[in-house]
Amino acid sequence: MIGADHIGSVLAAAGASGTWDWDIPADTLNVDAPFAELYGIAPEDAADGLPTGTFFKAIHPEDRARIRIAVAGILAGAELFSKEYRIVTPRGATLWMHARGRCHFDANEQPVRFTGLLVDVTERKRTEERLRVAQTAGGIGTFEYVDGYATAAVSEEFCRLLGLHPAPALPVQTINSVLDAAAAPLIPGPRGGAMPDGLDAEFQVVRKDDGALRWIARRGEIVREGAGYRLVGVIYDITTTKEQEAALRVLNETLETRVEQEVAIRRKTEEALRQAQKMEAVGQLTGGIAHDFNNLLMAIMSSLALLEKRLPADPNISRLIDNAMQGAQRGAALTQRMLAFARRQDLVPERIDIPELVFGMRDLVERTLGPAWSLDLEFPDRLPPVLADANQLEMALLNLAVNARDAMPDGGVIRITADQRNTVGGEAGELAAGEYIALCVIDTGVGMDEATLARAAEPFFTTKGVGKGTGLGLSMIHGLAKQLNGSFLLESTYGHGTVATLWLPVALDDEARVPLAAAPLAPESSTSRLKILAVDDDGLVLMNTVALLDDLGHEVLEASSGEQALTLIRAHPDIDVVITDQAMPRMTGTQLADLLTEERGEVPVILASGYGDVPPGAQQRIVRLGKPFNQAMLEKALGQAMGGAR
Amino acid sequence: MIPDSVALAELERDALTEIVNIGVSRAASSLRKMIGDQVLLSVPSIEVVSQRRAARLISEREVSDLVAVRQDFSGPFSGRALLIFPETNSLELVRAVTGDELSAEEVLEMEHEALAETGNVILNSCLATMANMLKRSLSMTIPEVLRGTGASLFEVDEDSAAEGLVLFLYIDFAVRSRDIRGYIAMIMDIPSLATLKELLEEFIARVVGDDA
Repeated sequence: MIGADHIGSVLAAAGASGTWDWDIPADTLNVDAPFAELYGIAPEDAADGLPTGTFFKAIHPEDRARIRIAVAGILAGAELFSKEYRIVTPRGATLWMHARGRCHFDANEQPVRFTGLLVDVTERKRTEERLRVAQTAGGIGTFEYVDGYATAAVSEEFCRLLGLHPAPALPVQTINSVLDAAAAPLIPGPRGGAMPDGLDAEFQVVRKDDGALRWIARRGEIVREGAGYRLVGVIYDITTTKEQEAALRVLNETLETRVEQEVAIRRKTEEALRQAQKMEAVGQLTGGIAHDFNNLLMAIMSSLALLEKRLPADPNISRLIDNAMQGAQRGAALTQRMLAFARRQDLVPERIDIPELVFGMRDLVERTLGPAWSLDLEFPDRLPPVLADANQLEMALLNLAVNARDAMPDGGVIRITADQRNTVGGEAGELAAGEYIALCVIDTGVGMDEATLARAAEPFFTTKGVGKGTGLGLSMIHGLAKQLNGSFLLESTYGHGTVATLWLPVALDDEARVPLAAAPLAPESSTSRLKILAVDDDGLVLMNTVALLDDLGHEVLEASSGEQALTLIRAHPDIDVVITDQAMPRMTGTQLADLLTEERGEVPVILASGYGDVPPGAQQRIVRLGKPFNQAMLEKALGQAMGGAR
Repeated sequence: MIPDSVALAELERDALTEIVNIGVSRAASSLRKMIGDQVLLSVPSIEVVSQRRAARLISEREVSDLVAVRQDFSGPFSGRALLIFPETNSLELVRAVTGDELSAEEVLEMEHEALAETGNVILNSCLATMANMLKRSLSMTIPEVLRGTGASLFEVDEDSAAEGLVLFLYIDFAVRSRDIRGYIAMIMDIPSLATLKELLEEFIARVVGDDA
């Protein structure tokens, strides 16, 4: 036999339901078997009707007053009854019930019957509780909207997320008022028309209670119901995610810009390096050519000089020889400039006061420029001196002034300014950090386009007509600046003039360099017949030197290398003076001079060099002879050497 | 903010809700007969709030201007009852009540009269039920139609420190396929609310008896 308690528990597990019928005029209650089972009433007792008070008997004491009031409402004329409350079964279990009933009225609108259905909703209550906790804990608000109505059922969390006063149902208009007026609605209105495609969307809302701007995501499903539809969905706050996305995006964007900037800087540096390498290569090449050229020119000039001496005086012959000599001299001047670009000319750096130098050459420059151009000199009161070669600097300035003039064919004012600028390094063409004087020559002429500007300092590049310029001017200045540890910078905009800036390092107080050529100037001795050792690896030059010396009446021994020279000096202790080339393979002139000093003490040495390549540590006693040299220069050097030897 | 003498206990609130529910049920049945369509009138939820808060509550929910039907009542407790609709709803309500046979012009002509009549049905049901259930009698003035904002309907006086209280009833008042919703508000002074509270206590004692 199945016990009543057992049936009760089965019913409860199945979500049991029972019905009731309350006869108001007769004041009796009729219930069905499941109702009786839930209330623990014997079926036979229920058969004949129960007192109406039985309805409240099993109700949990805490809920009883509430339900009595609700039933009183029904008995007095309210139409619908819908309450949830707890009942306690005879076995002591507490179940949540949902009682749904309605009142029936007679013809006079007087309530006569109150019928209803009692359903066990314990499971649902628990589910609701879980849902409520899930909503609160997860910050998820739910909504349900039936097509065609003006309101939507919403959860408390839903209202909280939008900052609305909590209510179980809200007008669709109220919900959508958190959005921007132009935005798609969060919930479509009663006249929304077609069924929406989906519920997955994101919205920017202004929260009603605090006015905060938030991002809300909507997810959910659309349920078709006959001709209409029902929307069941959730909303949740995604502001933090959105903010993180935005921050990440900004970071990404900046990253790209930064990479671009970095790449641009690198490209610029690479370009500068390429340019520097090119200039260096061109310099090497130019230097090499100039060196060989120098030797050839010297051979030509010396031979011409000797030839003139030995030929009978014939004006026709002299004129030809003079022409040849002039051509050779112009060639020598050209090699000087090439060497200047290759930074291999001999510089005599001294402390120079720039304003003084510029004022000193003002007349010269103005005469060179012509009457249509005038100079505007602008210097600060006090300017520290620079360390430079005065002649070269004057040449450079003159060159720049002439360029400025040529840029202004109709005349104009050329400004020359100087001021002190300190750099932290890397500026104006890789300057080392330090103090500099920036000497500027500024014109308002035609300027240069980018392509011209990029090539302006290359040797032999010229924009002037054929025969007007050598194309060595700016390259020479560039070389000069480099050799002085400065820099040369051209800035120009096409049609808006050019600023040529020469950066020269400020001379330090203790920088009192002794000029290389400052060997004690001895009174020229009567150069009696001397025994001379001439050393040069270039046979042509050696032959030429020997011829010049021979012509002066000296006895000459020849050596084509340093080693050979040492052998000869040991064999001939009576050698009075050694004249050697500097640039020789295996052993340079200065190295030879050092060894000679070891062998023969104070034997005078003349060093012939076309380069500024004599190391600073070279012996002071060495007499220097610039290439190309003529007989007179050679004789003078011999005089100096012999005078110094005394 | 709300004095203890008028703040409603949970059971008192339940009792008042049920009493209004009876009134609303009667109103719904009358409206159903007038409209001939399904009318859903939810069980109201009740709050006692200040006039200012009542104005804010309604303006939070309704962005448009409002239309209200007003009836003053007097008896053991006195005050003013308002049935409030968003203005955009009012013509819709008139159409629902008069049927869709009228032209737009006729609807406009009818609006005032139809609103007053609808308001009368609903407010009368509620007030009469309250009087009946609390075993007291109330007399009512004839309905009057007002238009304005939440603040003007609740007569919020920015300068006045003393504020009346509002018994605010949300009723979700939905008619299928029509954008209609409304609110019932009863503005009462503190002595009237205190009287209402006493009457509710009597009602509860009567109904619940020993179970209270």
